[in-house]
Amino acid sequence: MGKFLLGLSSAVMIILMTIAIFYYQSESVPLGNVVSSTEETEQPVDEQESGNEGEDSLPSQTIQPVEPYEEITYSLQDDELHITFNQGMDWTQVPLEIDQLFSGEYSGSRHTLIEDSYVLTENLAAFLYAERENGSQEQIMLIHSTDQGETWEESVVTDQYSVMRFRKVDFLNDQFGYVIISVGRTMSQESSHVFLTHDGGRSWEETTNSGVTRLIHDGGFVDETTGFLSFGIINPEAPDLHVTQDGGETWSEAAVNIPEEYKHIFVQAETPVKEDGHLSVLVNQGPSGDYQGGLIKGKFISTDNGMTWEFEKEVDPDESE
Amino acid sequence: MNRNKKWLQMYGWLALVISAGFFTLQIGYLFVSERYNVEYVDDRLFYLINIVCVLFLALAFLLLVSLTNKLKLIGGSMLFVFIAVHLFMLVSGNQKVNNITSISPDWKNVLSIKEQTEEGKAFYYREYYGILARPMEKLPHQTDGNFKVEWLADDIAAVTYETKDDKVQQFIGTYGDRGGGISYYYVGAEIQGRWQGDGVAVESGPEGITVMENGESEHFAWEETQQFGTLAIVLMKNDEAIWTISLDENFEVHPEASHPTVGTIKIYEATMEENEPVTLEYSGAYEG
Repeated sequence: MGKFLLGLSSAVMIILMTIAIFYYQSESVPLGNVVSSTEETEQPVDEQESGNEGEDSLPSQTIQPVEPYEEITYSLQDDELHITFNQGMDWTQVPLEIDQLFSGEYSGSRHTLIEDSYVLTENLAAFLYAERENGSQEQIMLIHSTDQGETWEESVVTDQYSVMRFRKVDFLNDQFGYVIISVGRTMSQESSHVFLTHDGGRSWEETTNSGVTRLIHDGGFVDETTGFLSFGIINPEAPDLHVTQDGGETWSEAAVNIPEEYKHIFVQAETPVKEDGHLSVLVNQGPSGDYQGGLIKGKFISTDNGMTWEFEKEVDPDESE
Repeated sequence: MNRNKKWLQMYGWLALVISAGFFTLQIGYLFVSERYNVEYVDDRLFYLINIVCVLFLALAFLLLVSLTNKLKLIGGSMLFVFIAVHLFMLVSGNQKVNNITSISPDWKNVLSIKEQTEEGKAFYYREYYGILARPMEKLPHQTDGNFKVEWLADDIAAVTYETKDDKVQQFIGTYGDRGGGISYYYVGAEIQGRWQGDGVAVESGPEGITVMENGESEHFAWEETQQFGTLAIVLMKNDEAIWTISLDENFEVHPEASHPTVGTIKIYEATMEENEPVTLEYSGAYEG
């Protein structure tokens, strides 16, 4: 026992001392290759022309993924969009300018892509962006690749729209997908539009407009004919969920039956999902909800494909994710 | 007596397990740091964990094995040398790479900045899982080693530092937002109106932000402001930070201008001297 512990202790101390010396020496090398966004333009001309990468620039082998532990992820480093399908071993650049991805009414972080503005899976990489046409008009575009970035295809979702606020793209299968955008916000009114593709994103067709001008919160399709739009982001008092059951030909307001005790508590519907032969939707408390900490959501069930919704139970934030 | 010995044995094994845990952590760190390009949030942690690991190992040794005086002397000497070398590397390493680490008041966020002291380059790190971090952004000026950290909220850290050309700058680390479901907004636009605090008043309007203090006012055009995340804005003059304005936790962001302003903001002067942020209350709409 004594000899075993003696041997073990000696080995541990030698290993720890060795790696500590190694660590100490490595501390003197330059730290990470990271650029300051405000410093790039101050680079002297001769340095730019020499083609040498300064030690603060980002050589391709040091691209850092946004989600380092994900197999499929992306990087926005050095003002370029790169994607990887093998945890950063290989990177492919997406032929887009970063500004195009953040165009419109957006001033959030540029370290991550806007939520729901892209699809990144093993079989599909798709990014929604805007291209300025003239003046304040923008063309809403989608660039997508089905071969992990070897080839890219661009398509026009819609021509000539004013500044985009809400944006969402998703595909339910390799052919059917949808884009939901809102444009031209003035105070608390804006125009929301839904576009569908049935050929994997090559062409897009706008559905009938729902006619609702409140600010859109979320939306989505559960199959090729059934889709939802949820409105109200400024102190909503009740969920405002609209449904189509004919692929966007017609829209009607869904009836979300809120039990008396939850009225003015569960006020903002998220996107419904399919679940064991029926549909379910989580209704959250909106931006200023404070019921049980504000994060509890109400789960509602629909057995008529989204027209009417009945309360099932409260769900906590972890459960709802 | 036997009972005591049994307890000591148990503590000994426990110490051995803890030591093994720290050892595994260090070996795991070597692999993870290489593979995922992450570092400890503070470089000094590496040496401290090594020291703690060996201390628990020594404790296990003492509790599990009867040592002769000679063995105690040898073991104690080895332990002393080990710790002394580690402390030397910790101090010396921190002179090469100056670690500025600060934990938020609610213990949920860690601000990490590492400065290469010789070259005056400082890097802002984003923390992962509490103790790991990756370089996120290089601070835009050559630093001279003096940093001051003040948490303006649980998710806003203001780092005031001096540059090689004797200017004061502020960098703001942000770890959240006030938008709820609405994730993007301009701080300057959200705080439009008049704000009053103890000895300081702020007015934010279409042309920029004006700060009034001790009867003097200074105007900052929007071009002289820099927003960090969606929580704070630094007001600049002649390429030098003058003030930081941040949104308090109770501040509510609303996309419609007609919505009444709810919550307070803070203003914090950019100076290396000891100073406290001032909380400002909304006192009315912008009057021009």
